[in-house]
This record gives sequence, C-alpha cells and structure tokens, in this order.
Amino acid sequence: MYKSLTLFFVALLLINLEGLAQEKIYFGQTEIGLLVGRGVAQWDGNHENRTDLTLMSFHGARISRNHVVGFSVGLDQYDGVPILPFAFGYRGFLGKEGKPKLFGGVDLGYGSAILEEKVKNEWSESWYRGGLLFSPSVGVSFPARKGNTALTFSIAYRRQDFSYFQGNLAGTGAQTIVSDQLPPGFISLNETEHLYRSMVFRVGIMY
Amino acid sequence: MKSLYSSALLILSILAFSSCQDEITSTYTYHTMMPVYYEMSDIRARVISTEPAQPLDNPGKIYIYEDYLFINEPTKGIHILDNTDPANPINLSFIPIAGNVDMAVNGNILYADSYVDLLAFDISKIANIQLIKRVEDVFAHMYYHETGQIITFKDTVLTSENPAWQGGGVWMMDASMSFSANYSAAAQSYGTGGSMARFTLSNEHLYAVDESTLRVFDVENPENPTFVKPIDLGWGIETIFPFQNKLFIGSNFGMHIYDASTPSSPKRMAVYEHVQACDPVVVNEDHAFVTLRVGTVCNGVNELHVIDIKNPYSPTLKKAYPMLHPHGLGLAGDFLYIAEGVHGLKSFNVSDVMDIDQNQLEFLTNQGSVDLIPGPKSLIVIGPDGVCQYDYSDPAKLKKLSCIQVNNPVNFY
Repeated sequence: MYKSLTLFFVALLLINLEGLAQEKIYFGQTEIGLLVGRGVAQWDGNHENRTDLTLMSFHGARISRNHVVGFSVGLDQYDGVPILPFAFGYRGFLGKEGKPKLFGGVDLGYGSAILEEKVKNEWSESWYRGGLLFSPSVGVSFPARKGNTALTFSIAYRRQDFSYFQGNLAGTGAQTIVSDQLPPGFISLNETEHLYRSMVFRVGIMY
Repeated sequence: MKSLYSSALLILSILAFSSCQDEITSTYTYHTMMPVYYEMSDIRARVISTEPAQPLDNPGKIYIYEDYLFINEPTKGIHILDNTDPANPINLSFIPIAGNVDMAVNGNILYADSYVDLLAFDISKIANIQLIKRVEDVFAHMYYHETGQIITFKDTVLTSENPAWQGGGVWMMDASMSFSANYSAAAQSYGTGGSMARFTLSNEHLYAVDESTLRVFDVENPENPTFVKPIDLGWGIETIFPFQNKLFIGSNFGMHIYDASTPSSPKRMAVYEHVQACDPVVVNEDHAFVTLRVGTVCNGVNELHVIDIKNPYSPTLKKAYPMLHPHGLGLAGDFLYIAEGVHGLKSFNVSDVMDIDQNQLEFLTNQGSVDLIPGPKSLIVIGPDGVCQYDYSDPAKLKKLSCIQVNNPVNFY
C-alpha cells in the first residue's frame, strides 16, 4: 500500500512536470521533503532526532491574483507509521510576475491512519486513529523560463497527532459492564497519543 | 503585506525553536473490581419498601410464584412481574434488597438473602410487600471483619495516565485477573434459577447452599424462619435440587445425594464423582440428569450424564451423551430441555434414557440460552436476548411467546 502510494505521488509529480495546467484558475503544487523532529525525552533526558519522508500535493483555485484556496493530500511518515493527510489550505504570493516570489500558506485538516491495518486476535485488538494536522509554511518560488510552472523551496512547521490503541477483549465468561469509557466487549484499553511537532524542508513545483 | 509575511516567519521560527518536540501521552482505561466495604448495621437500617418498576439490568435467579415472576437483580433486589399472560409479562415493581442474590417462596412468604442476613417478606398483598422477619448473621462467611463489616466488589472502569514504561505492571489490575471477577462470574451461575438454584424449599425447610456449606432453616412456621445448622459440603458447590426427601447437590467434582427425610439434619447418602466440570442437576424417580461443561471456573468435558439413582447409596452412570456446551437444564415429565449456551436450546424425549440422542425433538440454534425453568404456563429461557418464554405444550415445536428486554444480558460462561 505504502509503496504504491509513493509511486502514485511520483507519477503525479511527473505528469505535472508536463505543465498540463493552462487554466489560470487552477493552481497546483506538489512537493517532496523531509520531516525533522525531536523525539520525546528518554530516561537519560536525551532526545532522539527523527527524520522521515513527506509528500504533499496541493490543488486549489485562484480567488485573486495572489491568493489561492484549495485542499492538499499527501503521505507522511512518523516513526514508521504512515499517515495520509487531508487538509484545507491557503497559499498567498508576494512578488512580481516572472520573478522569484515569496509565498506563504497554511494547511489545516486531518491526518488519517487508514494505512495502518487493525490487528485483531482472540484476546486483543490494536489499531491507529489519526488526528489533527496543522501546518503553516513559507517558501520561495522560481518561475520557469516559459509556461506557468515554478520550482519551489519551502519550510514549514507541521503539527500532527495520532493515537495507537491496544485493547484487551473480555473473554467468554468475563463480566462486562456498560461504560462510556470502554468500547463494548473490552476489559481494558491503552491509548497512546503521539503528538509530532516537526519542521519540514521541501522542494517541489507549482503549476 | 510584507509585515504579514515577516510576522508569519517570526511565528514559524518561534514554533521551530520553542516547541519542536514530540509528546507522548498514555491513557490506560480498564475494567476492574473495586472493593466496597459496608457496615451491616447501615444495611439493616435501610427501610425496604416496594418501589416502582425498574428495567431489568442483569437478571439473576427467577422464581415463579402464582401468576408472578420474581426476578433477582444480583446484589440489588427483586423485580416483580405480572405474568398472567406469558406473551405479555408486565413489570410491576421492584423491592430493593441490598446484597440479594437468591430467593424462595413458601406460601405467602418470600425468603431472600441480604448479605449475611436472611429476610422474610409477607407477599400476600403484592402491591404492598412487608418485611416481617430478619434472621441475622446466618451467611456469616461474607463477613470481612468481626466488627460487622462486609466486603463486596463493584464493577468499575478506571482511567489512569502512566508514562509508557510503567504500563507493564498495570495489567495485574485487569478485571479478568482479579479473583473477585472470577468469583462473581461463578456466582452468576448460582443465581439464574431453574436447575442452577441455590435456595430451595423442601419438607418445611429452606436449604441454602454457598460454595462450601449447606445451611438449613426451619420454616415450618413460614413467617418465622429459624436457622438450624450449617452442613459442610466441601468446595465447589453449585446447585441444589430437591426431590422426594432427597437433596441433589451439584458441585465442581460431582453430585452429592443427601437424605433429607429428617429435614433438619440431611445426611449424605452418596457422592457421584466425575471429572471436574460445571454441572447442574435435575432428577426424576429413577434417574438424575447432569450436564457437564467446559467453563471458566471448571474444566472438563461437554456431556449429558444419565445416572441411575434407584439405589441412592450407589449411583451409577448409565450413559453419557456428547453435548455442545450445556448449561442449565429442566425436566418436565418425559421431556428434558437443555440450554446449550451459544449453540441454542434443545428438547429431548427421555422416556428411554438409553436412546436420548435418537430422541432429540427440537434444536433452536437461534435461541442462545444459559438456563431454563419449565413453568406451569411457559418454558422460561434465560439467554442473551433477555428472559424469554416459550409455549412448550408440544416439546417438538417450541413457540416463542415473549422476551423481556434486559439492559445487560447474561454472558456465556
């Protein structure tokens, strides 16, 4: 699943390089980059650094010459857990046509953990649940000599959380009680919420 | 515009340098049993009076009295239902009795336990049930402390936050690990009525069994039950079934036969021993029918044993039939009904005990069941659908009449 998605994004990137978008209204941006973060403090107080891959593709409509609203999809990795982000986004530009431009943006949405399969056996169940994604970004775009495409470099902050659940099932014969805190059929549930705050360094194209 | 971008850059750099660090939060939510301590004096001080009907939550033992059904809500009290029409039972009222798990009716007197006490109620006016007698300290094994404190366990869901590396030890507090949870799961099997009863009346005596003791009460004068004596039975006692001056007591290890012709002092006649299993008993003139099953508190086999009891001093196994997962059973004339747990409900003609498997009349695979009572009007079946009643005038064609909804139906054990 993960591999095929990566291929899909690479394909998307290549197709977009053709510069198919002649329409003025449509705006697209596809980027690839690295998520860099500091892990939680370990027992000795040290932090391990975390570096993962991120792919992002933004599609929007120009509401005026320098403002675009749209949505982004992508694929992020956090400590080996793939997250599919879906977000609403904004991009704004500063600079003259045909010259390098400064741009900024913000994405707000949900990072889905749908790629992680639920593991279930006779005694227990474990699964992931996605969480809030918030990501402001700034960057510079260098327009191509001809056409509407531009090369981009950007840095962003990316806040993403998701939870890992591991629950033990009530065996036949065990007493179960109705409770809002536990899903039916469970005798215990361990939720580990991971909150990742990363810096993102990306390169890509606009079209 | 320029200032907007520079402020955005500023915010970004603040985020980058101040809080660019991950966080992990663990929350552990678990079902456990919380010990609850009560002073018996407080419990005795509570006024017990008939309350409006309450929905059935997790019913225990069922007792049929005239046109009424008495349904125990373990440790909480007794529901009273009007069962004049088994197709449409009506929930009438509730008697709150703390610590109640069992009951029996003698004439117009209802006996019910309340932790360590035995209570007697006058039920001649069903709308106005009166407590008339309290026999104190008879189920004294429940005392936690000599000062009159008792301990019970309450199902609870707790949530705690632990750093991940401390989580390892927490599973010890998990409900399935606790002794009390297993105890309560086992206790549930006592309370469901029918062949799995714990209180029974015979020859003007009330017999109550707990895990190891048979307690005898003289109820010749129904309003005034008096405690006679305890009789030690050994561990793992599950059910009691009276038949013709004899008591048949099912345990984890076998079936005890007691001579109760001197009702105040039952004497052991024999013990029919078998592999360890959970085993309710029903009896007719010549044979005892015992179901053995694999369960949480008992291991063993899933079988129906037919035991020749013509000579009660020397019971002998006549035949064993394989079963799926048999729980309670009921005998009505020549017809035997077996609750097969998740597998369903079976009826047999047992006039020829050597050929029971050839005489299976009905197997309702969609009626999960743990216990049943062949009543005068209907066959009452307790299962995951609640308390259901069947017309069993034709044992080969059981007709469902009604099901009383239950919030928290019985679990299979």
